[in-house]
Amino acid sequence: MTESSAAARSTPETVEQTLFEKRQKIYPREVHGTFAALRTAAVVGLLGLYYGLPWLSWNGRQAVLLDLPARKFHIFGLTFWPQDFLLLTLLLMMAALSLFLFTALAGRLWCGYACPQTVWTEVFLWMERQVEGSRMQQMKLDQAPWSARKLRIKASKHLLWLSFAAWTGFTFVSYFTPATKLAQELSSFTVGPWESFWMVFYGFATYGNAGFLREQVCKYMCPYARFQSAMFDEDTLIVSYNAARGEPRGSRKAGSDIQAQGLGACINCTMCVQVCPTGIDIRKGLQYECIGCSACVDVCNDVMKKMNYAPDLIRYTTQHAMDGKANRIIRPRVVIYAALLGTIAVLFLWLLAARSPLALDVIRDRNQLYRERAGGIENVYTLKIMNLAEHPRVFRITVSGIANLELLNSPASISVPAGTVIDVPVVLRAREAELKAVNSAVRFRLTAADDPTQSIQHDATFLGPRP
Amino acid sequence: MPAPARYGAVMWLSFLLAAAATGVVFSLIDPDELRVCVNLPSLSRSGAYTVGFFLFWFFGAACGIVAVAFTYPVAPDAKSDNETAHTHD
Repeated sequence: MTESSAAARSTPETVEQTLFEKRQKIYPREVHGTFAALRTAAVVGLLGLYYGLPWLSWNGRQAVLLDLPARKFHIFGLTFWPQDFLLLTLLLMMAALSLFLFTALAGRLWCGYACPQTVWTEVFLWMERQVEGSRMQQMKLDQAPWSARKLRIKASKHLLWLSFAAWTGFTFVSYFTPATKLAQELSSFTVGPWESFWMVFYGFATYGNAGFLREQVCKYMCPYARFQSAMFDEDTLIVSYNAARGEPRGSRKAGSDIQAQGLGACINCTMCVQVCPTGIDIRKGLQYECIGCSACVDVCNDVMKKMNYAPDLIRYTTQHAMDGKANRIIRPRVVIYAALLGTIAVLFLWLLAARSPLALDVIRDRNQLYRERAGGIENVYTLKIMNLAEHPRVFRITVSGIANLELLNSPASISVPAGTVIDVPVVLRAREAELKAVNSAVRFRLTAADDPTQSIQHDATFLGPRP
Repeated sequence: MPAPARYGAVMWLSFLLAAAATGVVFSLIDPDELRVCVNLPSLSRSGAYTVGFFLFWFFGAACGIVAVAFTYPVAPDAKSDNETAHTHD
């Protein structure tokens, strides 16, 4: 047994220890300033949208209603069907590419201002501060032994959190079941089992993620946090500490001559660490835990102002700016992301505008291939006719493909109510002499009675005996 | 990364994946039409979406949890001294 193998055996043990490192609870200090105001604006705006949208109506219907039971999405004046799946895919691609583009330009803008995890955590932190007080008061309360006062404060906080989470769960479900109907059902205790389940589930997810997991979601669970660095380059905005100006750090008396003391601008007040929601020290350089929320920028600028120093010891900057090089906004990755995004956006809008308000599906009767009648050979089909418009319409059906083909037992005009699918069984009859093969191609054409330019066709096969 | 965080990451990623899979699969397949072909217990569409989502989550999470457990280093005393010497020398 050599020394190296002994060392190799002992290594896993040390690894095991660090794996089970206990999480230190982070108490982010409240921060005020330009970026904090921007984030508050984003939080209020985004949450206002989330909680308010289900209550907005449009043409007598909830403006945004993802009616899953009816398999229809209503978004303002538009109705989307499962066959509009391509549009949804394009929309998601646009969302992803926008994220890439913004990340390349401005770093983790999404993480710091718009991610639901950040937004809800901000609200939960705000509620925690309202109930438990400042950072110091929270830490003191957590260290104190259990008492009636502590119990009361903690219970109030959790009650507040749970109420907010319940409202969040209700709002989530009201995107799928109309909010007014859901509120009525809730007040009369007649909410369906699946709606109840999702309200509770989503509510608890919010409570857990925003109340307890917080920065751990960003540090350990979020996939975007792991791959966002792939979008970064030397011209991407990052939050960074100006070490050249700040070091050597140290405490000093206000107004003292720092040059004589050989000190930099950093007074080592650790405010930047105290406000950090992920608990890092930005002065150690760029770290993957940094979500770019710039709370440290705001708090440090406050301190610099109090010290009568120039601001921006911690600031938004780029690697190129730090190296004294010029910044480029237009660079290959930005152009590529923007071009892809633009192309997909144009395609999306074009497909959206070109959507046909009618759709036709033809299903052959599977029970029999064909039947022989006195008048000729007959095939049976079921036509699924969809009126995707918001008003009832009348359609006509015509067939072609075989000479003297007849369409039997189909009404001359078919009326379809707004936004519905109807099944129309039809029979096609062809003269045996006209059939050249076992399989003949036929074409159904559906035309709108009020606008003959609107028509759609569907191909099917007509089966007959061997000629 | 702490061990609970590894499993947390699996749960969260499989959750996101399940949401995406539910969206894709049920856009293409109507659970009501599926019932015509397969003998499924009577469920409303909302119920079928919910069950589908949790099935996707379960399979994604099961795969991830097992994969994380398998990639853990083997505890040192689980191997005999001979094997250890053979591996490291």
